[in-house]
Order: sequence, then structure tokens, then C-alpha cells
Amino acid sequence: MTKEELKLRLQQERYVCSDELVTTLYVSLLLGRPLLIEGAAGVGKTEIAKVMAKALDRELVRLQCYEGLDESKALYEWNYQKQLLSIQVNMGSRSSDELTRSLFSDEYLLERPLLKSIRSEQPVVLLIDEIDKADEEFEAFLLELLSEQQVTVPEIGTIRSRTTPFVVLTSNHARPLSEALRRRCAYLYIDYPDIDKEVAIIEAKLPEVNARLALQVAEAIHTLRENDQILKKPSIAETLDWVAALNALGMKELTAEGLRQTMGFVLKNNEDMEEAAHDEALFAGLS
Amino acid sequence: MTKPSSPVYLEKLTEFSRLLRREGMTVGVQEISDAAELLSAIGFSDRETVRTALQTVFAKSRNEQAAFCRVFDAYFVDEERKKASARAMQEAEEELARRRAAMDEELTFQGKPIEVREDLKEVYLTMPEEEREKLKKRIDRYRDNADRAPGLYDNFIQSIFLKTLLEQQMMAEDAATGNADDPDADLLYREISSFQESDIPKAVALIQRIAQQLSGELTAKRRRGGHSGVLDFRATIRRGLQTGGALTDLRYKKKRMRRRRLVLLCDVSGSMMQFSEFVLQFMKSLSDAAESSRIFVFSEELREVDPFALQNLDGFRHYVRHSGLFGRGTDLGRRAGSALLRPSLRIRPVHHSSGALRCQDRRPRPRRTGAAAGQGQGGQGGLP
Repeated sequence: MTKEELKLRLQQERYVCSDELVTTLYVSLLLGRPLLIEGAAGVGKTEIAKVMAKALDRELVRLQCYEGLDESKALYEWNYQKQLLSIQVNMGSRSSDELTRSLFSDEYLLERPLLKSIRSEQPVVLLIDEIDKADEEFEAFLLELLSEQQVTVPEIGTIRSRTTPFVVLTSNHARPLSEALRRRCAYLYIDYPDIDKEVAIIEAKLPEVNARLALQVAEAIHTLRENDQILKKPSIAETLDWVAALNALGMKELTAEGLRQTMGFVLKNNEDMEEAAHDEALFAGLS
Repeated sequence: MTKPSSPVYLEKLTEFSRLLRREGMTVGVQEISDAAELLSAIGFSDRETVRTALQTVFAKSRNEQAAFCRVFDAYFVDEERKKASARAMQEAEEELARRRAAMDEELTFQGKPIEVREDLKEVYLTMPEEEREKLKKRIDRYRDNADRAPGLYDNFIQSIFLKTLLEQQMMAEDAATGNADDPDADLLYREISSFQESDIPKAVALIQRIAQQLSGELTAKRRRGGHSGVLDFRATIRRGLQTGGALTDLRYKKKRMRRRRLVLLCDVSGSMMQFSEFVLQFMKSLSDAAESSRIFVFSEELREVDPFALQNLDGFRHYVRHSGLFGRGTDLGRRAGSALLRPSLRIRPVHHSSGALRCQDRRPRPRRTGAAAGQGQGGQGGLP
């Protein structure tokens, strides 16, 4: 696949992206390197993995990271109930060696996202979401998978990847990631989109929305993000929710009253709402 | 040339990698190999594509991206920029030569040369024009007095020169250690007293990120050994498979991995009141990020801060500033050994602020004990 083809496929999926982003995705795909994406919450990091899965026509396998995530949740687990049942049923009929061997076979293996991604016959897109929420031990565990495309299950041995998954790791930078992990990945930083891009995103995702409303909302969102007093900056998803809400209310353009009534779609805490209510720049130009 | 076909480009790539290493980036053989593969695939026809592709491979953080762009722009220059750069360099060299010629004359007083170290002479050469003018004017003010009593003023003039040049040298070093590409870094290393009103929201956002990261780092630390006393059913069954399902070896769940408790001792005495906004914001952010933290404010009294009170920051701010309990002298010593602290807390230092009026000071300082933020005597303190 060429870079232009990738760009076309992303556009077909209504994903608005810059040349720089397409180049980075293409490079990552070309080299078979995992892609580490950092950026503020809500700038579309996870969305990239979803769109890439659609654009490449691959299954999306998602691993959501959290504190305390371990191998049994991320890689594999044995089906203990089934193993115990098998022992009880086959105790007299099979030799102990044979029985033991059979217990650690595919039949009793419960695949978790990482194992699923490397055992898949068809290449998949593996999304390891919010890796910064997982522990450092888990990060170290990931290194084998990311660099060697293989994992080791003690009872079975090393399982090599049948196909090369496109791995996307996302991080909100809640804690610094290790150098070792960073070195194994291609890197992308995503910032909030500018007004033009935000309008393009609204038009792509919600084509039924009035162009003037889309522009007004994009400008208002931009003003809110520029306001240093706003603690939780509105994400792209919140922009889309807001536009959809305004559209559902039958508004063709954004008014000061409409903004006040629907502000809860964009700002999610009281301090921010109070700050926005007194932000003159936000209401400038609204009827 | 659209596709690299000769080993020359590999040599260039290696040279480029060396420059990146010199900027502090970690560039291994794998990265160079990836870059070579990429250039073979995409060619050199589009400069921006090459830049983004190489950046993806070489730069692994925002800071590294900024460093990469600097090196890339300096190394892969087009003909026009090369000429402009050469012109600028030539002009700078000519200016330096002119200044060097004038320097011997300028560094004299009463016909005698002022003794200045060679490294400080270089500082003098690179000083901004307005600073040199300021120095000249200052010297001229003393010229008449010096004419009347030459012996008396020689050392004084010498000291003025020395002090000014040393100040300039320090400023140049400070500028070199600052990171112009990262506005946060600029804020982090500036004196709190020099903060403008417009800097406060940025500082608050920075504080929140620091508190969040601090909490994240703390959660990554684990207690070792021991178990919680709760049976790990899965692990026990798994173990039991070795004995045909008989549960002879009980396995227990590990101790719950708790966040390490953080104790914040916060000086709200009179000298610190002007910085209290930052400290209050830090307290709130820390309280939000690390629920197990305990926060104390002290002046002549020591009080534990209720996390619920911090949820209403305006009210708490008002309480700190106007209750009359705070904003007086500092007497932590008297209160630190009080019953409030002793029975429940075993304080181990995990973080400490610098003593100077800076958010963070890079100069080596003697170690201090105690986990304290905003702690200091006589107007000292800063963000952790």
C-alpha cells in the first residue's frame, strides 16, 4: 500500500488527517513498528486505531490498561474448571503424562487480547489503550511482544506471531513511560485541531449539520481551549456531541442563549462552566 | 534524485544520527536501519515527508521532536537558506572581529587596562549592546571622582566590571540550560516572584500535571513480600492441578498494592503568603490525584487540611488568608514534634523543594530531610 492509498482509505472512513499524520502512520506500517501516540485526552488517539482497523480492513483487538493489569488479563489464562473436570473424567483412562500434556493444550487456553492478536491468522490492529495507566512491570512484559513479535507461555513455550499486527499504544502521560518502551515504538504526538480542521471533522462526521453552526461551534471550542482558566479542555468527541445536541434542538446557528443551555455537553465541571459564563470572547459575535 | 542508490546517503544518515546523539537523543543501530529502509522506500523528493518519516523513527517524545527539528533544519538545508546562513555567519564574525579590536580600548580606565579573565573577556564580547552601554555609562559616572583620587577608585571600577561580567556569564548559562521549546520548562525554572498574572493559569495547569505524574509514579511502586491473607482461588486450583486436583498447596493473594502515602507540609507564614496561591493549587491537585496523601499547613500553628475543604478552593483560600491563624511567623520546629504528627505519621522524604525562590533549581544543593513543599524561612519557598 502506498501513502496516497492509505490517505484515500482514511478519507473514505471520514477521518480528517494531515499529511504529517498519514506519513507517520505509513512509516509505522511500513516498518512494522508499534505506534506510540501521546496527546491530551480527547484529541483522537484511540480513534486512530479504530480508523486504521477499518482502513486496513482488519479486526480491532483492544486491550484497555488499568492499574494492576497482569498477564492473565492481557495475555492468557487457563480454563481451570475445564481442566479439573478433565482430570476427574480421564483419571483412570489415560496415563498421567498424557493427561498432563493434554491439560495444557489449546483446548484449555483462554486467549486474552495480546495472545489473540499474535495468533490470529489474519493481521489485526492491536490497540493498547492508556498504557500509562498500567504498571511498570506490565510495560516490561510488553517489550517482548513489541520488539520480537512473540510471547512466552511457560507451559507451552514461545509463541511467535503468525502475522504482524499493527500495534497502537496510547498514553495521556499520566506517568512517564520507560525509555525501553519508547525506543521500540514509532512516536506520534497529537494536539487539538485548529478551527479549520475541527470544522472539517464536524462536516465529515455530521454532514447534516449547517455549515455556519459548525464554524461557530469550532470557534467557540477553540476559544474555550485557549482559555487557560478552563481546566478540562473540551475534546473532539465533546465537540461532536455538542453539535449533535444543537442540531437536534433545531438550531441553525449558535446563540448566546443556546450556548448557555447546552454548555453541559462541552464542559464537565462547575468551575469551568462558571469561568466560561464570564468569558466575553466566547460570547462575542453571538446573537 | 528520488531514490537513494549510493552509500553516500548512508554516510549522511550516520552523520545525521551522530548530530542527534549530540543533542542528547538516543539513536541506536535499529533506528538508523529503519531510517535507511524508509528513505529507500520514500526517496528524497519531498522534504516534509522525509522530515516527518525520520522524526517518527528518531524522536520518541515532544522534547525529542523539538530537538530533531532543530538538527534536521540545520543539517538538511536548501541552497537559499545555506547562502543566507553563510551571509549571517560572515556578518557575525565581522562584528565579533570589530568588537575584539575595540575591546582593548574599552577595557581600560585612566589609561590602565582593567584586569579581566580571558573567559570574561569572551563574555564581554558577546554582551548585548545595551548592556555594554549601561556599563559604560556607569563607569563614566565615576570618572570625575576617579580623576581626583585615582588610587581609591581603581579597585572599585575593577569590581564593577567583574560583577557585571559575572552576571552576564550567569545569565548566558541560565539561558543555555533553559528549554525554549517547552513553555512549561520555562515556567518551571523561573522565579515565582517574577510570575505575571497571565502565568498563573499556566502554572496551575503545570502543577496539576506534576501532581498527577507524582501520583502515577507513586502508584507504580510496589510493596514486596507477604500476602494479604485472602485465598487466591485460581492460583490454588492451578497449583492443585499438579496433584490431580487436590488442593494441598494454598495460594494467597498478594497484598493490595497501595499508593504510597505522601505528606505535604506547607508553609503559609507571612513570607510565603504571596506564593500561597500556587501552594494551594498544588495541595488541591495533590489531594485530587493522590487520595491517600495528608496535607498540613503551618505558620505558628500546624493544622491538617481536610480534603473536603479543598474541594471548595475559594472557601479554603479565604480561610487561609483571613482566619488570622496563618500569615504570621514560622515555627514548624515547635509544632513538628506535637501529638498531631507523632503517633500517626512516619515521614520519609520523597520529594523536596529547593530553598531558593525558584520552582526548581538545577544547582547542586546539600540534601535536606523532610517531605516539605513551600517550606522555608525568610521568604523562601517554591513549587516542588
